[in-house]
Amino acid sequence: MTRLIEVPTQFDDRSFDQFASAFAAATADGERLLFDAHAAEWASPYGLVGLLAAGQAARSSGGGGGGGGTERPLLTAPTHADVLTYWTRAGFFREAADLFEIHGKVPRVKAADESDVLLPVTPVRAAEDVHAVVSKIQERAAAILASELGLDPKATMGFAMALSEACQNIVEHAGTGGWVAVQAYDWRRKLAKRVVVIAVADAGVGFRHSLEPTQSKRFGARWGDAAALEAALIQGVSRFRDPGRGQGLAGIRRYLARWDGKIAIRSGTARIAIVPKWDDDVPLKDGLPAFPGAQVLIIIPEQGSTKR
Amino acid sequence: MIQHIDVHAVLQESVSGIYTDLVTRPTGRVVRERIEHAMATAHGAVALARIDFTRVGCIDYSCADEIVAKLLRGRPAVLVLTGISDGHREAIEPVLAGHRMAAVIERSDGTLEAVGAPDAAVALLEELVARRLAVRTPGGTLALTLA
Repeated sequence: MTRLIEVPTQFDDRSFDQFASAFAAATADGERLLFDAHAAEWASPYGLVGLLAAGQAARSSGGGGGGGGTERPLLTAPTHADVLTYWTRAGFFREAADLFEIHGKVPRVKAADESDVLLPVTPVRAAEDVHAVVSKIQERAAAILASELGLDPKATMGFAMALSEACQNIVEHAGTGGWVAVQAYDWRRKLAKRVVVIAVADAGVGFRHSLEPTQSKRFGARWGDAAALEAALIQGVSRFRDPGRGQGLAGIRRYLARWDGKIAIRSGTARIAIVPKWDDDVPLKDGLPAFPGAQVLIIIPEQGSTKR
Repeated sequence: MIQHIDVHAVLQESVSGIYTDLVTRPTGRVVRERIEHAMATAHGAVALARIDFTRVGCIDYSCADEIVAKLLRGRPAVLVLTGISDGHREAIEPVLAGHRMAAVIERSDGTLEAVGAPDAAVALLEELVARRLAVRTPGGTLALTLA
């Protein structure tokens, strides 16, 4: 029997919980999964890397069916031609081909080396991958950050640093690989401005599991996904006892504070965010539908007056 | 004697000839170990080591911690950082401040500046002067006494 998981038509961080809820329900009995994206109209980088993480989790938990995870979960590709082309240009299908049995006609276009896709969906498994990501983004992001977002040209290096640290969370803590994507787009709904978005996702062990050996006692009964995220993002705690650890997320926060940016991290059943004035997100949500690993969203808006 | 260490060259030898960025913990660790080895095996007594970051692209917080903070903690000699860009400082300064440490930066005009935790920065410059490794210039700035 195959369990159906509908991919939201507008698939981004806002609709991710709906997706996670369907995922949690469908994976309960280990049946083969069908991710149905045929009606998808739009997906943010967060949606795309999140979908890959779901595919990764389904395979590792046997949700590809067949008990041993030998069969891949199914994925119905979007039917709308523009959506299909965008997902392909964004590098989604290049990565999805290894994770899913894809149904639908995927166009033969290359992952974008120009336009608003600053970094197509890119796998991150090891330190070498982070080097490649940082090297590539600096070539491509400088012009966009300065000319379109009005950031000081010097901010490009800070952007690369933030990206590097976000990717390193996968390498150092996830216990598995993940993906990163970076894109610039007009965010009409929220800001009526250009934004650059970094999305990083994995289906690894998540923050709670990573920090549990060193932090659970300190938090006592409060310990859980929300406490783990709070410890990591707000208190700069790391699972390593080395006093220099935990610098990465603190550095990202400093960078975002300077450029009025946002970070949100979802892990397990919780989500934490540093919320700028222009956004109405909540700082901490607990009791969300469980989803494996960690999903990070970083948004840097065009500089100037940011309206709600 | 002053020892000169070209971090870009160390990076290229350590990790890859392609990348110029100091990113990730493993990269930082390898680069630091090579620098430590070079300092430990230098001929003659090293009073001061110039760690030159010229041609290094991005430094992330992890590498700033793994290289600069840990080198300072081991402190095999007085370290002076050169070739430091604004972007490099963005990573190095908060990392040092977090450790309540300071490092000396030699600007392109030869003047010295201490960055990191304010107390540690003042103490470090005073120490350089006391050890006659640096002197006050007529302009009121500090410069190294050794060329």
